[in-house]
Amino acid sequence: MIYYLFDIPFSLLGNQFSLNLLSCQLLLDQLTEWHAVASWTWDAQDETCGICRMAFDGCCPDCKLPGDDCPLIWGACNHAFHLHCILKWVNSQTPQAHCPMCRREWQFKG
Amino acid sequence: MTMDATSSVCNLAILESLDENLIGEILESWNGFCFTTESLLKGNGDLSFGSEFESHAQTLCKHGLESLVQEHFLRSLENTFEKNGASKFWRHFDPYSNVAVLDIDKDPIDEVEVQHVLCKALEELSLEKEYQEKYLLMLVHALQSFKDKESEGRQSSEAERVRLFSKYQLIMASVLMATLPRHFPDVLHWYFKGKLEELSSIMSRVCEDDNESQDKDDMDLDERSKLPCRTGDMDIDGCHHQRRFLENHKLVKNIGMVVRDLRSLGFTSMAEDAYASAIFMLLKAKVHDLAGDDFRSSVLESIKGWIQAVPLQFLYALLAYLGDSVNYDSPLSGLRSPLASYPSSCYPGMGVPSEGLVRWQLRLEYFAYETLQDLRIAKLFEIVVDYPDSSPAIEDLKQCLEYTGQHSKLVDSFISALRYRLLTAGASTYDILHQYISTIKALRTIDPAGIFLEAVGEPIREYLKGRKDTIKCIVTMLTDGTSGDPNGAGSTGDSLLEELNREEENQENTDDDDINTDDKQAWINAQRWEPDPAEADPLKGSRHRRKVDILGMIVGIIGSKDQLVNEYRVMLAEKLLNKSDYDIDSEIRTLELLKIHFGESSMQRCEIMLNDLIDSKRTNTNIKATINQPSQSGAELRDQGVSLDILNATIISSNFWPPIQDEALNIPGPMEQLLSDYGKRFTEIKTPRKLLWKKSLGTVKLELQFEDRALQFTVTPIHASIIMQFQDQPSWTSKNLAAAIGIPVDVLNRRIIFWISKGILADSLGVDTNDHTYTMVDAMVDAGKTGVNSGSCEELLVGDEDGERSVASVEDQLRKEMTVYEKFITGMLTNFGSTALDRIHNTLKMFCVADPPYDKSLQQLQSFLSGLVAEEKLELRDGMYILKKS
Repeated sequence: MIYYLFDIPFSLLGNQFSLNLLSCQLLLDQLTEWHAVASWTWDAQDETCGICRMAFDGCCPDCKLPGDDCPLIWGACNHAFHLHCILKWVNSQTPQAHCPMCRREWQFKG
Repeated sequence: MTMDATSSVCNLAILESLDENLIGEILESWNGFCFTTESLLKGNGDLSFGSEFESHAQTLCKHGLESLVQEHFLRSLENTFEKNGASKFWRHFDPYSNVAVLDIDKDPIDEVEVQHVLCKALEELSLEKEYQEKYLLMLVHALQSFKDKESEGRQSSEAERVRLFSKYQLIMASVLMATLPRHFPDVLHWYFKGKLEELSSIMSRVCEDDNESQDKDDMDLDERSKLPCRTGDMDIDGCHHQRRFLENHKLVKNIGMVVRDLRSLGFTSMAEDAYASAIFMLLKAKVHDLAGDDFRSSVLESIKGWIQAVPLQFLYALLAYLGDSVNYDSPLSGLRSPLASYPSSCYPGMGVPSEGLVRWQLRLEYFAYETLQDLRIAKLFEIVVDYPDSSPAIEDLKQCLEYTGQHSKLVDSFISALRYRLLTAGASTYDILHQYISTIKALRTIDPAGIFLEAVGEPIREYLKGRKDTIKCIVTMLTDGTSGDPNGAGSTGDSLLEELNREEENQENTDDDDINTDDKQAWINAQRWEPDPAEADPLKGSRHRRKVDILGMIVGIIGSKDQLVNEYRVMLAEKLLNKSDYDIDSEIRTLELLKIHFGESSMQRCEIMLNDLIDSKRTNTNIKATINQPSQSGAELRDQGVSLDILNATIISSNFWPPIQDEALNIPGPMEQLLSDYGKRFTEIKTPRKLLWKKSLGTVKLELQFEDRALQFTVTPIHASIIMQFQDQPSWTSKNLAAAIGIPVDVLNRRIIFWISKGILADSLGVDTNDHTYTMVDAMVDAGKTGVNSGSCEELLVGDEDGERSVASVEDQLRKEMTVYEKFITGMLTNFGSTALDRIHNTLKMFCVADPPYDKSLQQLQSFLSGLVAEEKLELRDGMYILKKS
């Protein structure tokens, strides 16, 4: 009886654990929901758009919302720009547009 | 016989013509006159010497000694009056002389006795005076009959009589004044006080008696105040007042008699002072009694009603009794004081008020206004504390101030109350802000132009600028009212959010106004112009720019809206990241309101953040719906009770969020697998974009099942990872556990406290003193030990505890941004030696124009520099910063 009374505090002191404590253990961790956080990024080699000098993960000067509303586009030369930026550039260059970075003929990467 | 000598001197010219006989005759009749005068005056109404007296007087007059006769007679009257009347009169009041000196406030005397004594004394004295007047009349008769005989003309007889009587009056008054004991005014004061209290108690009894008619009565009063007073109305409610009149008629008559007696004794002004002061005291007591500490009801009307009912009735009766009221009423309109802008001509049952009564009413009302105003100003702090409830008191105060114009008193007293009671280290910033808002609202009622508010708000603003958490508190109050106040006083907390709403309505209204504004409107506005009150500070510009706008004033504390927006962004980020559902309706609403107030562009980033949440929701459903073919490990995962169903993700555009504190973390393998599957699917859908997981962020809901119960928790991923490690192995050393999870040991030790405090894990020192051992705890033991709720459900969000924030606070951001300039500053100090704050600021502004431009405020620079001082990189001496020599 006396042993029992001392059993619990003794075990809490923690030098060794009585088996009686371990007998009841966690059966299962049930995960009910895991709400994770992630950030998206464009899988491009560069950080910023070569035309507007804004971050790819941001948006071009004309846009307000990044991401779907202001996508990136790759040229055949593998240079990426904001779609809106390169369109402006291409439209201003007649008859044949060149990549602003490497001066190769601009073609959208298909 | 000295008189004789002087008379002979005076009449030297006549002396020449006098012979012995005549002199003898004069002397004889002089002696006779003196004797009869004396005996008359002593005789107390015994008129037996009358005829003799008359004949002597006539004889003397015949010899041209008329003035001598008058003078002697008056002198004798004076002596007698002094001896008999005055001294006896004052002796009545001797018992009160000591009491008066001792103290006036505490009134130990029996008032009834005072009244009694006063009445008796006055009666006696009046009697004495009456006698004397009778003798005087006798003399006048004697002189008169003499004159009649002489000149047969009566032209000046009346004037003569009036002259003599007024002279007598004057003599008597001066005798009384000369012998006036100091306590007599107090006696008078007590007398009137007692009488008035009696009267007012009678009045209140009457009011109680006919309560039901009182209501009608009040209505009548109101109607009456709108209508010009016509005598035709009189008989409608005349009957109510008639009854009252009868009751107190006797009382008033009594008082009237006393006042009349006092007047006739030459105490006109003293009596008036006495009853005026008694009335004022009574009024003051009444105001204090009515107003008290209850701010929930307006008392001004009832005070005014009481003035009508008691003191004015009394004065009306008194003036009517004394007979000065009726004479004046013809030129009334011309004589009325300009102060009586709205003539509250409701004198129930009194007819057209006399000018004296109007004056009295104005005096009494002004006094009441002033008393109430002082009372309210002294308690203004409390009134503002429970502002929305205490608005009747504010209304009262407003009306009082309109009359008295003592706004500066209010400002001074309120500022000192604020300094003493609010702006102390003990008051929480929330309380100060709430009080500030209440102050703005309350004072806006009193003074729509906001001039006094300017003065009162200044110290609060200055004080709040010095507090570090001001911005945070303001933003919290702006965004959600209920959780803003740690004490849980939600009702006042959401006032700022309400204010935002109101602002929106106002905005719409002003838009309409702008459309309608044309020349006509401008003309109307111009006509409505009023000059600023004299107290206005000319430096602060005209009232048009001083529109009272609570949000504007609150933002004014912070200095710039950018700081506020920044703080809001951090708070919003924190809140959004801890959301486990995508429900952001309230945030959207708040943001829209803020956009209206602060402009679209400054809230752009916040809008993107909210947009991310909306997008995330869409993407999340999309990914989960399309990820139809389970990955190779899917079956295995499902075995462990982990499927893609439980995973939701918030995908953020990190460029537009405040810097996020991400820590490395190894989450359990199955989860890791899920995340990468999710990421792959995202890349497929949104190619060529990819996800970067911030594994330490987010929320996890999990359920711990023990033998006898289940506990639910909502925790951070770190906590979840910790507890899930115990699934396989019931005991871990801290080093091993930290390695398994991939976080530093100290972080682990800090985080694991959560589970220990919940009684799930136990901490014990291992063999190595630095190494802790954590073990699963027996459920039964834990329930007994920590008293954790043994119920099956427990919801807890831990993210906010212990300052574990997922978003870097504004201060941290600032410190990070400022480190760029540290090199500049060190260089500057090396070159210039000691430099003042201003100069550092200006130099940085001048030279750091390139990427990133220096755009910090002076305060921000100062706090950064003081941080450097604390790190012992700099020294601050006499306001100059010096490079610390290492």
